[in-house]
Amino acid sequence: MALTFAKIDQTVLDTLRPAPKSYWLMVLLVFAGLLAGAACWAYQILTGLGVAGMNNPVHWGTYLINFVFWVGIAHSGTLISAILHLFRAGWRNPIARAAETMTVFAVCTAGLFPFIHLGRVWMVYYMLPFPNQRTLWPNFQSPLMFDVVAISTYLTVSSLFWYTGMLPDLAIIRDRAEGVRKKIFTVLSLGWTGEHEQWRHYVRIYLFFAALATPLVISVHSVVSWDFALGVVPGWHTTIFAPYFVAGAIHSGLAMVLTLMIPLRKIFHYEEIITIRVLEQVAKTIIFTGLIVAYAYGTEFFIAWYSHNDVEIEVFLWRAYGHYAVGFWIMVGCNTVAPLLFFFKKIRTSIKWLFVISIVVNIGMWFERFVIIITSVGRDFLPHAWGVYAPTLVEFGIMIGSFCLFFFLYLLFVKHLPSVSMTEMKETLEKGGSHGG
Amino acid sequence: MADDRYLMGLFIEENGAVDAVGALGESSFRIEKVFSPVPSHRLADALKVKKSWVGLFTLFGGVFGFFAGFLLAIFTASRWDLIVSGKPVISLIPFLIVGFEFTILFAVFGNIIGFLFLTDLPRSDWRRHYDERLSGRYYGVLAACPAGREQELEALLERQGADVRRMDRDDPPERAAARPEQAHP
Amino acid sequence: MTEDHAIDRAGKSRGARTAVTVFLVLTAGGLAAFIAGVLGPHPERAWQAYLINFLLWTGLASGGVLFSAIMQATGARWSGRMAGIAEAFSAFFPVSFILFLILFLGQSYLFPWLHEDLHGKEAWLNVPFLFTRDAAALLVLYGVGFRYLYNSLQLRFGGASAGGRRFREGLQRRWAGRRIDEAAVRRRATFWGLLYCFCFVLVMSLIGYDLVMAADPHWISTLFGAYSFVKAIYLGLGGLIITASVLYLKNGPDSGLTKDHFHDVGKLFFAFCLVWGDFFYAQLVVIWYGNISEETAYVIERTMLAPWNRAAWAVLLICFVAPFLILINKKIKTVPPAMIVLCAVVVLGMYLEHMLLLAPAISRSPANIPIGILDLFVFLGFFGLMAASLMTFMTQFPEVARLRKREAN
Repeated sequence: MALTFAKIDQTVLDTLRPAPKSYWLMVLLVFAGLLAGAACWAYQILTGLGVAGMNNPVHWGTYLINFVFWVGIAHSGTLISAILHLFRAGWRNPIARAAETMTVFAVCTAGLFPFIHLGRVWMVYYMLPFPNQRTLWPNFQSPLMFDVVAISTYLTVSSLFWYTGMLPDLAIIRDRAEGVRKKIFTVLSLGWTGEHEQWRHYVRIYLFFAALATPLVISVHSVVSWDFALGVVPGWHTTIFAPYFVAGAIHSGLAMVLTLMIPLRKIFHYEEIITIRVLEQVAKTIIFTGLIVAYAYGTEFFIAWYSHNDVEIEVFLWRAYGHYAVGFWIMVGCNTVAPLLFFFKKIRTSIKWLFVISIVVNIGMWFERFVIIITSVGRDFLPHAWGVYAPTLVEFGIMIGSFCLFFFLYLLFVKHLPSVSMTEMKETLEKGGSHGG
Repeated sequence: MADDRYLMGLFIEENGAVDAVGALGESSFRIEKVFSPVPSHRLADALKVKKSWVGLFTLFGGVFGFFAGFLLAIFTASRWDLIVSGKPVISLIPFLIVGFEFTILFAVFGNIIGFLFLTDLPRSDWRRHYDERLSGRYYGVLAACPAGREQELEALLERQGADVRRMDRDDPPERAAARPEQAHP
Repeated sequence: MTEDHAIDRAGKSRGARTAVTVFLVLTAGGLAAFIAGVLGPHPERAWQAYLINFLLWTGLASGGVLFSAIMQATGARWSGRMAGIAEAFSAFFPVSFILFLILFLGQSYLFPWLHEDLHGKEAWLNVPFLFTRDAAALLVLYGVGFRYLYNSLQLRFGGASAGGRRFREGLQRRWAGRRIDEAAVRRRATFWGLLYCFCFVLVMSLIGYDLVMAADPHWISTLFGAYSFVKAIYLGLGGLIITASVLYLKNGPDSGLTKDHFHDVGKLFFAFCLVWGDFFYAQLVVIWYGNISEETAYVIERTMLAPWNRAAWAVLLICFVAPFLILINKKIKTVPPAMIVLCAVVVLGMYLEHMLLLAPAISRSPANIPIGILDLFVFLGFFGLMAASLMTFMTQFPEVARLRKREAN
């Protein structure tokens, strides 16, 4: 059955019907996990950062790993909604809304981790530039301050982009809702009526949003990578980090897109909108980003040898054969080898394989951050200062809590806001010809 | 003008709306507004509107942000001018990052402000001369005519294939009953 | 204009023959200047000019062909005519390979590491291994490129008549003999196009590490390989825009090029201006911030000390600031003469950039920036070679430059 404007509206509006009990059960479950994580965090605030595993020499652990992980996931949402809009790639339209939402919630989740890592959370005011009687100002030369600026900019811009993109859809819901819902969506849709005058400006600003979000994406994860690269730690101080991290971020984010889209399209009957072809395009892009990541791994090892720098060589050998070798080989296998399976059409058009490989890639990317952060700091210049690190239960609790937070927000979103952009889907149809009745 | 009557022609096909715009342009009736569920190039061409200059807001925001970012970083560094890690107190290489991020941030603010300003959103009077089918799949042409010529205008619109609705001040009760597909509460 | 259609038996029109003559004269002039330089008091200056031009024009040619490969691999449909022009750069591949082999003769000037204690790096930096691997790499790249073109050109010109052009006739006989359907050719073109992209990344990185970064053998930058191929793509797009603009100015709408083509390629050029700037900054900020003397010496000499700092600022302005500010404007991308000037200036800026990276190592602390008449002649010589190569390709495949009567994108 061909898609029409009416069918698109109906399919998406149907997802906003009152939810079955199973949905609320899942929300409750995820919320429980979120509370458990919050409890761990509260315990940490009351007891001290020592309850986490960070110590000498490894002073950055899962809090940084998760921070980078979630920021990375956020990036491919912007890639899909902004960069692919600039390239006029039509396959982005069915998944753009869900991907942008993933971005916003992932940045929210990521943004918690610098706070968590502070220990004494209230001290964050040191990082804000406001006049105070101690005449203290933050030092903007610090990469951590770059992070503050970059992540807050990214959160603000992504949220505004996400909201602006939703405006026409919010009007659609407003016009078909009743009662309290109608009032809420009336406020949310700002009085949008789809007049030509509004569209005229809307199309321009959407293009500008896409054009601005693209360099933003690249700069934000470059800034995050510079948290590591601007130091002198071996294995961190390397010029390739910026594009390497950006490619890795998009890699993990695309995998998360698949992880989210596949159950979503099944449960919400989006099969005709989020077609196999769309998922296949995501899979092909994952091959591309996986190859970039492989190039980066190879280059780092080659240059480590080429540099004939004993410290550098030691770190890289330890990564492959040392205490954390398992993590290293998981990283290499999951990130660079597994996506190659997508070269086979049978695999990249099979829902089961797409889902499995997407999870594998996400695990691999988590381990990449683990390997990069832990092994470099654990094995730097002075042998007597070498050490290892293991996350504690509190850290695991907080990590599980962060995953639960993300899925909690996402679950709430899919049932109360349109998870597919009806307007953009209609535009796709319009470009392809008539839209039927 | 205060005596004008407004009629909305609703079209399922974009072509009908485009033709209606053309026909109205040649008549003595005034086109008040044109609606569409998706942005339409053909309607834009038919209406011959100039390009939106919302980009100027974006540009000013970006330029402002560029200098604001650098100035903030330079100001804070000069207030607390200890030499850290052997780097100059005021150094453009790291400050470029702050300047860049602020450029994007304020360009986006300019974008939003320009958009809200030029489209006059948020609006509370959106219900006036609006039909809820327009957000779904109908294109709409709202035309105005002096009192007494409604029949003529209605005929013109119907000739283009419109489903015509009179947007009088008092919305007749039978219209209120003909609502499109509901979203469930 | 119709007089130019008078094609002689070799397939060239009168105007084309004049052009080729001019280009060959330029090449001869470049060769003469180069030989004079090598035999003169500063042979390293001549070899430096040679190497810079080799890298510049090889990058431009490979990057140009990459455009076609990417468009094929991604299934893009807007770019047909542009991709056809991009494929013309492949004619430079054999020239580039021979030019590479000639580098062997200048090894004592071009490889400063020959005279240094490499503390173990000799396993990688030794003349036999370096030349073998780089020659093999270029052979692979160009081989894959030609294999890609074999399929892509068949898609483009498979059924058309060869019009008496010998090379093309040979090709078309082979295509006819293949007897495979269009879908299969398309699949092969996509496969080889993807492989070309893959090889391009690896080979351009290798060339960058071996011929540029190794000039200062104690300095490293992991991003340098990627930086090298990004430069090549930036240059390739610039070369493509110049060629397309020239063809448009010569043939008008008959070239098959529209405003949209120029707009889109102009946007790509703008994008790669940003990517180049980003990759440049990514190296700069990491090295500056870490402040490790093994790394900073290289950067300090080139960006902060005389005489190179002036060149560094010039490169930044010409290759980043100017294109960025100019190309933000949408309209200028569709004005071919303006784009010719802009892209040509960027190519010159990139020449300066290559010089900035190589000259401090090869020319060793001169009082002034070592650029002069010799460099101009050698540059024009290489330009002549490139232009002659392009003309040769377009002689065999004139539809690239000018549509046949019934063709469209």
